[in-house]
Amino acid sequence: MTEDSQRNFRSVYYEKVGFRGVEEKKSLEILLKDDRLDIEKLCTFSQRFPLPSMYRALVWKVLLGILPPHHESHAQVMTYRKEQYSDVLHALKVVRFISETTPQVEIYLRMYQLESGKLPRSPSFPLESEDEIFLAIAKSMEEMVEDSVDCYWIIRCFVNQLKNKHQDALPQLPKAFEHYLNLEDSRLLSHLKTCSAVSKLPYDLWFKRCFAGCLPESSLQRIWDKVVSGSCKILVFVAVEILLTFKIKVMALNSAEKITKFLENFAFPV
Amino acid sequence: MAQQANIGELLSMLDSPVLSVRDDVTAVFKENLNSDRGPMLVNTLVDYYLETNSQPVLHILTTLQEPHDKHLLDKMNEYVGKAASRLSTLALLGHVVRLQPSWKHKLSQAPLLPSLLKCLKVDTDVVVLTTGVLVLITMLPMIPQSGKQHLHDFFDIFGRLSAWCLKKPGHVTEIYLVHLHTSVYALFHRLYGMYPCNFVSFLRSHYSMKENLETFEEVVKPMMEHVRIHPELVTGSKDHELDPRRWKRLETHDVVVECAKISLDPAEASYEDGYSVSHQISDRFPHRSFDATTSPYVDTQNSYGSATSTPCSSSRLMLLNTPGQLPQNLSSTSTRPLTEPPQATLWSPSMVCGMTTPPTSPGNVPPDLSHPYSKVFGTTGGKGTPLGTPATSPPPAPLCPSDDYIHISLTQSTTAPPKKEEKTETSRPCLLRQPHLPNDRGLEELSGKGSVTLSDLPGFLGDLANEEDSIEKDKEEAAISKELSEITTADTEPLVPRGGFDSPFYRDSLLGCQRKTHSATSNAQGSSVNPEPLNSSVDKVGPDTPKQAFTPIDLPCGGTDESPASNREHQTSLETSIFTPSPQRGVRFGSGQLPPYDHLFEVTLPKTAHHFVSKKTEELLKRVNAEEDYMPSTSPVEVLDRLIQQGADAHSKELNKLSLPSKSVDWTHFGGSPPSDEIRTLRNQLLLLHNQLLYERFKRQQHALRNRRLLRKVIKAAALEEHNAAMKDQLKLQEKDIQIWKVSLQKEQARYSQLQEQRDTVVTQLHSQIKQLQHDREEFYNQSQELQTKLEDCRNMIAELRIELKKANSKVCHTELLLSQVSQKLSNSESVQQQMEFLNRQLLVLGEVNELYLEQLQNKHSDTTMEVEMMKTAYRKELEKNRSHVLQQNQRLDTSQKRILELESHLAKKDHLLLEQKKYLEDVKTQARRQLEAAESRYEAQKRITQVFELEILDLYGRLEKDGLLKKLEEEKTEAAEAAEERIDCCSDGCSDSVIGHNEEASGHNGETKPPRPGSTRGSGGSRGGGGSSSSSELSTPEKPPSQRAGPFSSRWETTAGEPSTSIPATVGSLPSSKSFLGMKARELFRNKSESQCDEDGMTISSLSETLKTELGKDSGVEAKTPLNPDGLHPCPPNPDSVGQLRIMDYNETHHEHS
Repeated sequence: MTEDSQRNFRSVYYEKVGFRGVEEKKSLEILLKDDRLDIEKLCTFSQRFPLPSMYRALVWKVLLGILPPHHESHAQVMTYRKEQYSDVLHALKVVRFISETTPQVEIYLRMYQLESGKLPRSPSFPLESEDEIFLAIAKSMEEMVEDSVDCYWIIRCFVNQLKNKHQDALPQLPKAFEHYLNLEDSRLLSHLKTCSAVSKLPYDLWFKRCFAGCLPESSLQRIWDKVVSGSCKILVFVAVEILLTFKIKVMALNSAEKITKFLENFAFPV
Repeated sequence: MAQQANIGELLSMLDSPVLSVRDDVTAVFKENLNSDRGPMLVNTLVDYYLETNSQPVLHILTTLQEPHDKHLLDKMNEYVGKAASRLSTLALLGHVVRLQPSWKHKLSQAPLLPSLLKCLKVDTDVVVLTTGVLVLITMLPMIPQSGKQHLHDFFDIFGRLSAWCLKKPGHVTEIYLVHLHTSVYALFHRLYGMYPCNFVSFLRSHYSMKENLETFEEVVKPMMEHVRIHPELVTGSKDHELDPRRWKRLETHDVVVECAKISLDPAEASYEDGYSVSHQISDRFPHRSFDATTSPYVDTQNSYGSATSTPCSSSRLMLLNTPGQLPQNLSSTSTRPLTEPPQATLWSPSMVCGMTTPPTSPGNVPPDLSHPYSKVFGTTGGKGTPLGTPATSPPPAPLCPSDDYIHISLTQSTTAPPKKEEKTETSRPCLLRQPHLPNDRGLEELSGKGSVTLSDLPGFLGDLANEEDSIEKDKEEAAISKELSEITTADTEPLVPRGGFDSPFYRDSLLGCQRKTHSATSNAQGSSVNPEPLNSSVDKVGPDTPKQAFTPIDLPCGGTDESPASNREHQTSLETSIFTPSPQRGVRFGSGQLPPYDHLFEVTLPKTAHHFVSKKTEELLKRVNAEEDYMPSTSPVEVLDRLIQQGADAHSKELNKLSLPSKSVDWTHFGGSPPSDEIRTLRNQLLLLHNQLLYERFKRQQHALRNRRLLRKVIKAAALEEHNAAMKDQLKLQEKDIQIWKVSLQKEQARYSQLQEQRDTVVTQLHSQIKQLQHDREEFYNQSQELQTKLEDCRNMIAELRIELKKANSKVCHTELLLSQVSQKLSNSESVQQQMEFLNRQLLVLGEVNELYLEQLQNKHSDTTMEVEMMKTAYRKELEKNRSHVLQQNQRLDTSQKRILELESHLAKKDHLLLEQKKYLEDVKTQARRQLEAAESRYEAQKRITQVFELEILDLYGRLEKDGLLKKLEEEKTEAAEAAEERIDCCSDGCSDSVIGHNEEASGHNGETKPPRPGSTRGSGGSRGGGGSSSSSELSTPEKPPSQRAGPFSSRWETTAGEPSTSIPATVGSLPSSKSFLGMKARELFRNKSESQCDEDGMTISSLSETLKTELGKDSGVEAKTPLNPDGLHPCPPNPDSVGQLRIMDYNETHHEHS
């Protein structure tokens, strides 16, 4: 009852009119108030609504398993995480893998590499594609999350989630993308096919990097909300939407290379 | 002047023979008169007229309108003053006055009147006097109120002229005096008629004088013989006579007739008011009248009895009564004579026979005069309203045709009377038309007269040849009129007695009589005037025609035989028309002299009456036939002769009738030789005659006017009478009805009374019956009441009896009950007795048995009872025991059950608690797991870190080895390996932690400025490394990394410090317990693990340690040497290079290793 009274009395009206999410923050707060956070609910919430930025980090951390559902243990677990972070950082420093000048993103990468046991013998070793993906994600994530520990952990878990949880789903995404594009605009798809650009579309960028570096962070974080909450199909729809948005331009382009190039580079103006 | 000349020309043109020119000029003059108000034109006209006696001018002057009257009168006054023009002026005045102009009332004020009177008083010319007197007489009725002023003048004139008649002063011829006498006579009449009192007083005063006595005797007295006593003499007075109010009500013609009334002169008198005139019944008239009754005309009426309408058409009044059919006949017949003269000839004989040859015969004139009116009435839709009188509306055209027709008809009439007679009998249509033809002609004559007489007057005046004839004619007329009057009176006489009857016919008959007389008078008057137009018309035709014109005059004289008859016919027909629509009446009147009671035949003996009528008609027919036979025998010549003869007779009679002086004059005139100035005398005579005629005509006109009015009254009266008759009939019928109703009422009343009586008797009977019945009823009622009381008693008795019965019954019941009870008791007692007996017997038996048993008992000793007792008690006790036991058991069971319940609830609670606990546990578990996971992840990280470190270390080692001091290093390695072995041993003792602790301790001891964290981490790392070393092949290197990490100096220092630590392992092992919480935890956590790992890896470790010993030995060797380095502090710079080299190498190595 108190919760209801706390809710905006206009909420009913807003909902009727169609403004969803006016009460998001409130409802999210209510959700977060629960001891023993309900992961499921948080998932559905974040899938349904864009998260308010002040709670984004927290929710992500919870969803990604960085924080446990119990509030009690948050502090402790967080100290663990911090310690772990500092340990790893220290180790890297010790082994002189990183220095003061090393960019934060690379630090994250090294730390991740270290933790995953894939730290190369020397920092000068060329980066692998996975590392590139990580770097891109980390770069975007760095913009979103201020705290470095949180940032590292979120990146780490996010990437891990992509790797583990969506391992099976990700390869299916291009097909799904084709399917939905066909539904939305078969002409465009046929054009792409005639250009034989379908297979050359920047799937890596879209599905593996999750549009990191392709979209501005403000919009990206909303997409990632969904991804974090366990849905990777959002990526397909975003991709389709991007294609539809640039349909005219894409139609104007004839060669697969050009299309790919355009699609890879358009992001910056956007 | 030019205008004067112009007028002169016009005036001359007026007399042009061309009719159209004359008309045009007349129109011009009239126009001028209308536009011009000055006296000039009138004056010139008067002048011209006096010069030329022009007829058109006279016409114009006589029709002058209002504004010019004064001029005319002035002019005339002027001329009257002159002796030369006096006569003609007076003639003109006479003409003007006779036409009664609209301004006639002005005459009294005009100066002309005094001058006229003066002239009459003074003048000595007889012609002038006569003319003037006649004019005066004419004027008097028009200006009766003016008599007041000039009364004495009138009387003076009368006195003078009457004296003149006798004295014959000077050169006055006898002939003239006759005229003067007549005019004086007329004046006498007029004055006596108008102002009787004054006049009589004047006469009295005037003729009381001696000198006048002779005149009175000779002249005035004969005149007085011909007048009645004027009623005014009795009722009126001198003043009253002169009262204008008296005259206001009377019109001109009224005055004229008033004057005529008092006259006893048949020529003058009026019978209007029923005054009977002196009866001079000639021998012929009765015969005539008789003839008339038997005339064929009447016969036809009788024969055509039912067709009353046909005879009616012939009669004047009948026309009014039955106008419906007549107009058609009239129209058809009236047009015929004009359009078809030849055909008209066919009709002329009938006219003659019907005595209706109107224009010529004075006898026939009256019908002609009266017919026009009737005709007019007929033509005006038969409404009986005399609207347009023919006299006032004269059609100008048909003069000539009428003249022609007259001649033709006349000529024919002389020849054709017999034919007519036949026709009257054979053809009814002829009869129908016959009377109308004269009518038409009369109308034409009348109409023609107005215009023609005036226009032709001068010519007529100029014609002396006609003079005597006209006189004769005049006389004839007088005679005929006399005859007529006699006839009518003769007729009326027999009719009068009928007045005694009450029947509605009586009045009709009276009226009829009056009408007859009236018509007769009108005839008489008409006859006096009518010939003049005829003559004038004849004159106009030509100078030779007069003869022809006169023959017709004579002809009727021949026809006078029939003319009265015709009149009579008309009258009879009139009567019949009024009286009888049935043939019987026609017969009655046809018979004429039938006794007044003849109509009773009708009522009493209808059949006989009819028979009688038919007989009569036959007789009449026979007579007619006889007459018919007679009539054809008379040839036209004979008729002519007779006419002449009769004319002569009439003339002589007329002469006789005249006063003696005139007669003498006449006689002298006729007898003596004509004087020298015969022509002049004749002319004057003619003039006088003409004047007299004009005067007579005026009178006639007045009469005509009056006739018209009277006729209208008559019509009205007739209609009213008719209406009355009808009403009377109705009344009679209604009376009859009433009578019938009365009779029936009486009958009904009688019946009603009878019925009432019957009813009364019935009612009384019924009443008596009712009474009887009521009496009976009362008796019955009493009886019934008695019976009822009895019944009541009976009922009461019954009720009582019933109650008693009930009581008895109850008693019986009770007794029965008692009885039954008693019987039951009895039976019971009986049974009891039986039982008792039985029991007694049993008792006896039992007693015996008892005795027997007693005997037996006494015989046997038995102690079983004790035993049984004992057993029983035992048993009871046992039972009680068991019972208590059971009770106890039950209680226990209850308690236990309760306990069970309690426990179960507890259990449930516990379960719930357990569940909660479980949940909590789960929660905690998950929490812990998450923490653990975090820790694990940390651990993993640490592991990775250590791996990295190890790799680093190995790398570093690899570098060191490759630094060229391979041998030394190898040795030292062995030493280090040994040391490592030792340390591993310690570690195997579980002192890996102690090493750390020792290290820390050592650091603490040494006071080295090392961050505790790295140390601790290092320691933990070391411990872990120790733990992890078990998994890795290089377990002996936990000490080294920190030293390496610390840099060459620290490592070296550590190695140095490590040596003592190695030297004191025991202390190291004791320390960890007091170490950080983390450490403790880690130890707790990983103890088993490490142990197990240790156990598992024991073999491999040992083998590894063997290999490491050598390396450690080398290490130690290096370490031993390294202390030297800090002094120099130089090995540092090459380190990175070497490291880089080493790394490269290491990398390669590791790469090798990895690969």
